[in-house]
Amino acid sequence: MRIAVDAMGGDDAPKVVIEGVERARDERPEIEFTLYGDENQIKPLLKSDERISIVHTTEQIEGDEHPVKAIRSKKQASMVLAAQAVKKGEADALFSLGSTGALLAAGLFIVGRIKGVDRPGLMPSMPSIKSDKGFVMLDVGANADNRPQQLLQYAIMGNFYARDVRGFDNPRIGLLNNGTEATKGDELHQEAYKLLAADSNLNFIGNVESSTLLEGGADVVVTDGFTGNAVLKSIEGTSHALLHEIKGIIMDGGISAKLGGALLQGGIKSVVKKFDASRYGGAVLLGLSAPVIKAHGSADARTVYYTVLQIETMLQKNTVGKFIDYFAAHNIREQENQPK
Amino acid sequence: MSEQEIFDKISAILQDHFQLDASQVNKDLNFKKDLDADSIDIVEFVLELEDTFNAEIPDEDAENIQTVGDAVAYIAAHQK
Repeated sequence: MRIAVDAMGGDDAPKVVIEGVERARDERPEIEFTLYGDENQIKPLLKSDERISIVHTTEQIEGDEHPVKAIRSKKQASMVLAAQAVKKGEADALFSLGSTGALLAAGLFIVGRIKGVDRPGLMPSMPSIKSDKGFVMLDVGANADNRPQQLLQYAIMGNFYARDVRGFDNPRIGLLNNGTEATKGDELHQEAYKLLAADSNLNFIGNVESSTLLEGGADVVVTDGFTGNAVLKSIEGTSHALLHEIKGIIMDGGISAKLGGALLQGGIKSVVKKFDASRYGGAVLLGLSAPVIKAHGSADARTVYYTVLQIETMLQKNTVGKFIDYFAAHNIREQENQPK
Repeated sequence: MSEQEIFDKISAILQDHFQLDASQVNKDLNFKKDLDADSIDIVEFVLELEDTFNAEIPDEDAENIQTVGDAVAYIAAHQK
């Protein structure tokens, strides 16, 4: 299998990208990589070029550029060339730490959608207190507006992914809503609820509230992109603020607080390990005709390494192939976009 | 390529993309008003036009392509 890697995306690129890729290369003999980026920066950092080739380009997409305009005008950008390689079948998956918007655009407009999927959804894997498998949530922001059928499509893809990559036998699918009763939510969520409940292929457990997500309220959390993005950032912001405060109390609190902190060290370490985001890899853009994965711009080499393993699993299990087969056999696209 | 041939190819793209019958596609068909196409649909359509007709359509021109007739006229006028 060959992975096309945008080597120039991210805050510490290409260094962390190369470190993570080389670790994965050393451990996984079946993976080959093509790194797209400035070879003058890449080569000095590369320990060995075994199963790693470089496609040289100095053009890259910056974070503040308009995503669609950038991928249409910067044809030689590292991310665009990597996406083109996937489109041409020269690579099996696309991996970048670069601009989320540009990667969404490159995935959507270059790699292309699966026939039968209306809009791809962005799906991170997140930790939960009750299970090492965590949970997945989509869409967390690829779309600002969603329609009920799109939420059903997300549930179907999330279901396959949770089985293949996260190891769930029969993932519990929950619809993120503002209450657990079936009648809760706006029109979109009420309609989506009916579609999810009517699909016998899904283990739909009903509505879930955001307060239960980290406790493992559902294994696949289905949401519209606007809500999903707000909830994701709320979780990230709350956990950062809490950790920062706890650290401050221990470090600035004098001898008794430091002693207390030392006594709690074992427990804190186990919590930190459980919530170690690196192990969960990157966010997948589900609904495209090949795996397209985005890791955080501030990701370290460990996250890059784990993301490569995540891509490897998706390719080994042929997860995207399962989506393609499913949507070819089940037409659940919107019917309302007929001419008015 | 004649305008009819261009129309037929564009019609095929739209039938596939929007799940339409051939009888539903005519030159007056407006992407946004009649098909409820959003910005992603429009960009995908423009990219498919570029691939199908080996054309390069700048964003400024793409914004003016609002109906099937606009698309046919644009491709006919910019044939290589």
